[in-house]
Amino acid sequence: MKKHLISYSRAINEALDQSMKIDRNVYVIGQLVDYKPGVFGTTSDLVKKYGEKRVQDFPVAESLMTSMSIGMCLNQINKIVLVHHRIDFMLYSMDAIVNWISLWKFKSYKDTSLSITIRAIVGKGWGQGPQHSKSFHSWFANLPGIRVAIPSCPYDAKGFLIESIFSKIPTIIIEHRSLFEDKQLVPINPYRLEFGKANVVRKGNDLCIISIGYLTKFAINISDYYKKNFNITLEVIDVRTLSPIDKKTLIKSFLKIKKVIVLDPSWKSYGASAEIVAILQKSIKNKKKYFIERISYPDSHTPMSPKLESKFYISEKKIIKKIQELLNK
Amino acid sequence: MKKEKFLSQLRTLFRLYKAAFYLRLFEEQLSKEYHPANQMQCPVHFCIGQEAVPSALKLLLKKKDYVFSHHRSHGYFYSKSLPLQKLVSELYGKKGGANSGFAGSQDISYPKGNFFSGAILSGAIGVAVGKALDMKLNSKNNVVIAGFGESACDVGLFWEAINFSNLRKLPILFICENNNYSVFSPQNKRQSGYDIFQKVQKFSLRSNSFQIDGNKINLVYKKIKKLIKLIKKKKGPFFLETITYRISSHYGPNSDLDVGYRSESELNKWIKKCPIKNLENFLINKKYLSHEKIANIQNKYSREIKSFIDNAKKDKFLLVKNLEKFNYDFDIFKKKKIKKITIPNYNLSVNKDKIVGY
Repeated sequence: MKKHLISYSRAINEALDQSMKIDRNVYVIGQLVDYKPGVFGTTSDLVKKYGEKRVQDFPVAESLMTSMSIGMCLNQINKIVLVHHRIDFMLYSMDAIVNWISLWKFKSYKDTSLSITIRAIVGKGWGQGPQHSKSFHSWFANLPGIRVAIPSCPYDAKGFLIESIFSKIPTIIIEHRSLFEDKQLVPINPYRLEFGKANVVRKGNDLCIISIGYLTKFAINISDYYKKNFNITLEVIDVRTLSPIDKKTLIKSFLKIKKVIVLDPSWKSYGASAEIVAILQKSIKNKKKYFIERISYPDSHTPMSPKLESKFYISEKKIIKKIQELLNK
Repeated sequence: MKKEKFLSQLRTLFRLYKAAFYLRLFEEQLSKEYHPANQMQCPVHFCIGQEAVPSALKLLLKKKDYVFSHHRSHGYFYSKSLPLQKLVSELYGKKGGANSGFAGSQDISYPKGNFFSGAILSGAIGVAVGKALDMKLNSKNNVVIAGFGESACDVGLFWEAINFSNLRKLPILFICENNNYSVFSPQNKRQSGYDIFQKVQKFSLRSNSFQIDGNKINLVYKKIKKLIKLIKKKKGPFFLETITYRISSHYGPNSDLDVGYRSESELNKWIKKCPIKNLENFLINKKYLSHEKIANIQNKYSREIKSFIDNAKKDKFLLVKNLEKFNYDFDIFKKKKIKKITIPNYNLSVNKDKIVGY
């Protein structure tokens, strides 16, 4: 399989481009998608190739945009990709997502399904502040009827996007803005990735880091650092999709290594990390032999100033501190 | 010639009368069954008094047209000429229902017949706009009907929909059945300024928003007929506000008089303005209809409706082992790999290899 080195945003752009080329019923809709910079480069040049009918700018009416996408794919042929510059803005679509899209298939019993992909971007850093940086992956993963992916690398970003465009299940893909310039070797041809398959990115025996989204990058760095300097091997598992979640892989590593740290780029209370801990806990009988810790954001909104912001976000230092604690147990 | 035209008009009026009369009997018979028997165990919002719009639509809509309705959905279901047995069985939550008991009265849909409804006010309007956009983009010559009450116009999404459909000139007809009440709360307690149709008019430079007496079936029919014709000539969208009244209670078979939001004299005033009675009197005056004929029709209709109810009662409930799977497309629960998409020049395959290294 031929590969080329491209960035996260380019991988998304490539996925959209290839999907639109494959199927003329794929539409990309969102604010500013038809301008040259596109949405952080992810929609650049699409309008030139596929025209204004299929790449549509939209009024600042997120609520209508999302509910309208249901009507657009009722013919069971159209495939709609919606783009939200920030997941925070997407909250105007909560009614459409929660009351309509997620249960559309359910309440019609079996006659219809919706090919809707919602791309939602999470901001981080440079003073994005409390209204540009929230990540609601656990909210949406809580909801039956939709799937949630949170790709951590260009390879996943492309594969999950193509998969969800061509599937019949409404999907929310949460993209972290801080990843957009990361580069990786990615297959040139289009490919689909299966939901519900976690990725063991590093194999190890001493401790297992289960990470969500962009924190996988941190986990890999730390794992490599430990291996190089202390010959301690840390397993790293990227959860990749929160709904459905790959319980099997997570439990397997946990039973093997017995020490786990869960990294979740969101609030701790009632969050995805709590769900993962519950999944792991259920798999064991003798709780004394097993250790689980979780690291996430404080239960607070994101502050703006650089000093406060760095206190809010998870640092590698903070993760290492927790790892040391666990390794000594 | 003139006489022929008059006769054909009378024939149309008679068809409208029959449609409205059927819908009234249907709702009355169901509401009689609703409480004492207690076998319909879901909130049912009857549309007694609001038969004009559905009856007019029934004569005008084609199979490929789309209807999106709110929770008071029976009239709209009927307007698409869909199998009523499916509706009745759905109210009873039975296997043979339109959605096999997953939806009930206020969420019923019949995708094969291009009919959808939902219980969150104005939500279905957004969906309808999407269908209209799809029709326009793919040059389909059909119309989308978005039916709702004046309460839906309290919601922001409604105004987003009006703006966008005017911006893109979509083939959609918004029908606002203004019955003055959001459950118990009257319009003037919730909305300020001009009438809804006047506000909507401001979104377009040409005249495309109207208000009519929604209890005059013939008037409603003529207006909707004209607007559908214009929409098919790519002159859409249009907005029609019909002033009408819900004789039945907000939901269920009562009158709501005990709640105190409406007086008995108000209710009686509107019962006198009943859309069906007026049309009936007119047709009797013109000697097109007789009391005997009415009794015959009523007999026939009632028997049919009763048979729907009896069948629904006899039908079984759907039982499922795994509720979860009904939330998703069935494909993902099959153990096989995700299907390959075969498209020329592209080999899209599921890539399961683990990626290592950043």
